[in-house]
Amino acid sequence: MLTQKPGVPVSFDKVQKSFGPVRVLEELNLQVEPGEFLVLLGASGSGKTTALRILSGLETATEGRVRIGDRDVTDVLPKYRDISMVFQSYALYPHKTVGENIGFPLKVRKVNPVEREVAVREAAAQVQLDQLLHRYPRELSGGQKQRVALARAIIRRPSVFLMDEPLSNLDAKLRGHMRAELKHMQHALGITTIYVTHDQVEAMTLAHRVAILEKGVLQQLDAPAKIYNDPANLFVAQFIGSPPMNIVKGALVGSNFLVQDTKIAVPMKGKVEKAVLGVRPEDCSITTAAKGALKGTVYTTELIGDHTLVTMKISSDFLTVKAAKDYTARSGEVVGVSFAKGQLFVFNSTDGKRIR
Amino acid sequence: MSHSSDINQPGETPAGLSARQSWAEWIDRHSRTFFIAPAVSLILIFAIFPTFYSIVFALSRVKFTATGLRFRFVWFDNFISEFTGAEQGHFLGRLEGLSVLGWLFAVVVFAAVLWWLYRSAKNGSTWVGMIGRLISASMALFVTYLLASTLFSGNQWGTLLTTLFYVVVGCSLQFIIGTALAFLCSQPIFGKSFFRVLFFIPLMITPLGVGYAFKMVLDITKGPFQPLWDWIGWQNWAWSTDAWAARFFVILGDSWQWIPFIFIIMLAALENVPRDHVEAAQVDGASSIQIFREITWPQIVPVAVTVILIRMIEAFKIVDLPNIMTSGGPGIATESMTLHSYFLWRANDMGSSAAVAYLLLILSVIVCSSFFNYVVLGQLRKAHR
Amino acid sequence: MSDTSYKFQKANRGLMERLFEPPQVGKMSPVAKFFAYAVLIFWSLFVIFPIYWVVITAFKDAAAVNQGPYYIPFIDFQPNLDAWRVLQAADPFCDGYAIMRQLGLLVHNTFAFLLSPLMHVEPMEPQICKIYLAFTNSLVIGVASTLLCVTLGSLAAYALARIEYKPKFGNIIIFVILTLMMILATSFVGLKWYVTASVALALFFLMARALGNKFKATLGNGDILFWIISQRILPPIVVIIPVYMMFQAVSLLDTHLGLIIIYAVANLPIVVWLMHDFFAGLPIELEESAQLDGATRFGIFWDIVLPLTRPGLAATTLLTLILNWNEYLFAVFLTTSKAMTMPILVSAKNAGEKGVLWWEMCALIVVMIIPVIVAAIVLQRFIAKGVLLGAVKG
Repeated sequence: MLTQKPGVPVSFDKVQKSFGPVRVLEELNLQVEPGEFLVLLGASGSGKTTALRILSGLETATEGRVRIGDRDVTDVLPKYRDISMVFQSYALYPHKTVGENIGFPLKVRKVNPVEREVAVREAAAQVQLDQLLHRYPRELSGGQKQRVALARAIIRRPSVFLMDEPLSNLDAKLRGHMRAELKHMQHALGITTIYVTHDQVEAMTLAHRVAILEKGVLQQLDAPAKIYNDPANLFVAQFIGSPPMNIVKGALVGSNFLVQDTKIAVPMKGKVEKAVLGVRPEDCSITTAAKGALKGTVYTTELIGDHTLVTMKISSDFLTVKAAKDYTARSGEVVGVSFAKGQLFVFNSTDGKRIR
Repeated sequence: MSHSSDINQPGETPAGLSARQSWAEWIDRHSRTFFIAPAVSLILIFAIFPTFYSIVFALSRVKFTATGLRFRFVWFDNFISEFTGAEQGHFLGRLEGLSVLGWLFAVVVFAAVLWWLYRSAKNGSTWVGMIGRLISASMALFVTYLLASTLFSGNQWGTLLTTLFYVVVGCSLQFIIGTALAFLCSQPIFGKSFFRVLFFIPLMITPLGVGYAFKMVLDITKGPFQPLWDWIGWQNWAWSTDAWAARFFVILGDSWQWIPFIFIIMLAALENVPRDHVEAAQVDGASSIQIFREITWPQIVPVAVTVILIRMIEAFKIVDLPNIMTSGGPGIATESMTLHSYFLWRANDMGSSAAVAYLLLILSVIVCSSFFNYVVLGQLRKAHR
Repeated sequence: MSDTSYKFQKANRGLMERLFEPPQVGKMSPVAKFFAYAVLIFWSLFVIFPIYWVVITAFKDAAAVNQGPYYIPFIDFQPNLDAWRVLQAADPFCDGYAIMRQLGLLVHNTFAFLLSPLMHVEPMEPQICKIYLAFTNSLVIGVASTLLCVTLGSLAAYALARIEYKPKFGNIIIFVILTLMMILATSFVGLKWYVTASVALALFFLMARALGNKFKATLGNGDILFWIISQRILPPIVVIIPVYMMFQAVSLLDTHLGLIIIYAVANLPIVVWLMHDFFAGLPIELEESAQLDGATRFGIFWDIVLPLTRPGLAATTLLTLILNWNEYLFAVFLTTSKAMTMPILVSAKNAGEKGVLWWEMCALIVVMIIPVIVAAIVLQRFIAKGVLLGAVKG
């Protein structure tokens, strides 16, 4: 049933966007490979939705060019861009049935009713909605509405899918399920997909590559594993990972990181007055006060399930350690913490740049 | 099912579309014009153009001739005659001899207006704002002068003050009664939906019908209250010959028609106040009047002032009721400015008729925009803060 | 100390507490309830009485009206259909075929109007029953004008809610100056209006083209919206004399079309104001999604936007219809016989030789207000649901 279509590349070439005096997108350069699943990840106001809307044609770029395939579409009307989009609110037409909603893109393109009917059934079957074609959107659950929106997007077999936080209105359990379906469908159809989200789990699980945006600037564009293991700067390091990466303030002197008078050996060299040491909670382990690289007092312990999160206080910084699930400690107990070799990152705290 | 392959040029009609499709495409491209042009041109031709055209009438002596109209330009003669000339008594009232009471009233209001101007100048306002305030203030002072030398000096007033009387007294009365009824209907009472339907109906009845109905009901000799008039001993008195009684009954008819408007919108606003605010206050032990004053009223003030503004705008146009109930009489006691202009038109004095109509426009714009700027905007800003 | 707690117990309250305090939260105290019902019932009587009086007067004869007040039909006086019969009998054309002839006239004159650009068909003169004429006129003019007004008003309101307009300030100034020059040339120089109008229009487009790019100051959608709504403040009496002259020049006086146009213009501000609020309240994603799917602007408006604002559209239409049905001032200026509406016919009864023919007039008023009361009950539901509240909230 699922027919593959050769994917189409998408590129942003020095795209800028300002609303009046406010610059929301700084010179964005981005090449999306044919058939790729690219996630734009960022907090609200990071410019990710603006980038998507510029690609869709709902917003026009202040500067720069946008290309879909071999076409420059910067000034092309949305309807000639051969894209389809899934909105956060699903944007289902409340006065049309599920079938009419799914068939709408074909109806406005004057496809004849017989062909349309066939296409609607096919698209509905792909998202398991065949039984609900005569219902109205208000009679559907959140997950079903989501599927209708997907079916309406795939019915035209566009060159590019755009998705604007499509899963954020679902509850947590359904979200996990829909994520898997989405990934499967995109893979089966092979259509280039640009997906906007603020949820790092979605980004890590769905994407071939993730583009992290902050304040209109592209911070890093890489595969999920690379982003997690090799963050380009302090922002990316702290944005990705849950619980987030631990940060300890200090200074880099030679190949030692100085926290007050304690020295920690790090695998890089340099001299930076104001630096931060970054280490992920799972790369820390708790030892006795004497053995640890740093020592501090236990602030709280939280049993999560398969592990226990221990929050320690080291002078004014907090540090979270992922410990075994049977670990127990009293609040206020003095313990040490040691770090896994090679998993320490150092960043310049003035500009956030990674020191390698 | 791909539709992209046949589209090459950005922004242009794709090749290969049939003539009909490209026609539809052309309409779509110019849709921004097609959407708004019909409405705007209708207004330009039948509202804006006549408004300008009216200036020519107001500044001319107009004569009917065999070939059509003949205009003779007379500058502001028509306006001057309304203010200082032969028509002064009709338009402004008889302005002779200021009584002590008139003096007193004038002095008090003058002082108040000057104080208000001084305050707003001190608090710093823009040039445009200050000019607006000056216009409002001079309008207020002019009306004060008219009131002092007519009402407070025992002289008859003219159509300008009659119109303002309908607007100010009518609107206040209608607002108070309408809101009170809406408050009652928002309480837990039996038969709510019956009352709200019934109270709404007068608004929809043609003003003409309202006028005749009230004329009939208030008839001294044949009306339903004839026994009552008899009992009071008024069988030889007719309200239509007493200026204040006639004005009162015109306002009564007007209120019968317009209270429903205030009522229905205030009721909708009252019921839009979040239930939990009211319930929280009930749990705290507030009485329903306290709840209204402390919780409900502050939330419906923006609607209230807007409703008053709308009512005011419409009230300036009052014509049907006084025309039917009293024909503007006794004398000119109930004649509104629209009626004044209509009578002048019937007497073939088109220049003066247009001048009075223009003065009505100016009056209503100044009063309504003053109300909008000093009251409505302030309340809306407070509500959105 | 126990005294205070006893005071708040429901069972032990004194008479005054029982009268003035509500029995439970959310209820009214007996005294408050009494006053509330007293006021509501008084007001109901005040509202009903004039209507009641009109209705019973319509079933009285001259004697029953003139001999003094009679209040209750069948007890005080014997109701009869004299007034209704006189309305028919006084008019030689109000026979059994009057309705058929009226319909024939309507169809004939519609064709005459539609064919007027192609050929001349003499419109049929209204040698016809006045009541039916006035009633059909009111109906046709009211409905046609409402359709025109709601269509154009909704289009404009939608455009103002969704499309960005930037009219140049300078072009508006040019327009005003040219309009004034056109009026002066027509009134004082004596040129024909169509000559001056076409010259002014041509000059406007030329100048807007030539100078348009030089102007920097622009207005926005909010300004256009305010401009349209503010037309409501314009008293009809200001425009009525020029409109009379304009209609005379293009022979629209005493025609259906003339009244249809002028009523539509008079109500446009209300329609735009109410509809703008409904359109602005729709979620924009629906329209964006349709736009991406390839729908045209008109397609979106027709297929997505209008169905979603159906309650608002219905309420606005009904309101406009009622306003048109009741309108008097424009009708009295712009019609004489052929296009006369119900209010004109009613007021004609005021000027009889034998004084006011109250019973006949009341019969006509009853005919006028019955449809309106039905409409009012429907409209009241929309308002009760808060359909029209949004616009007032500002």
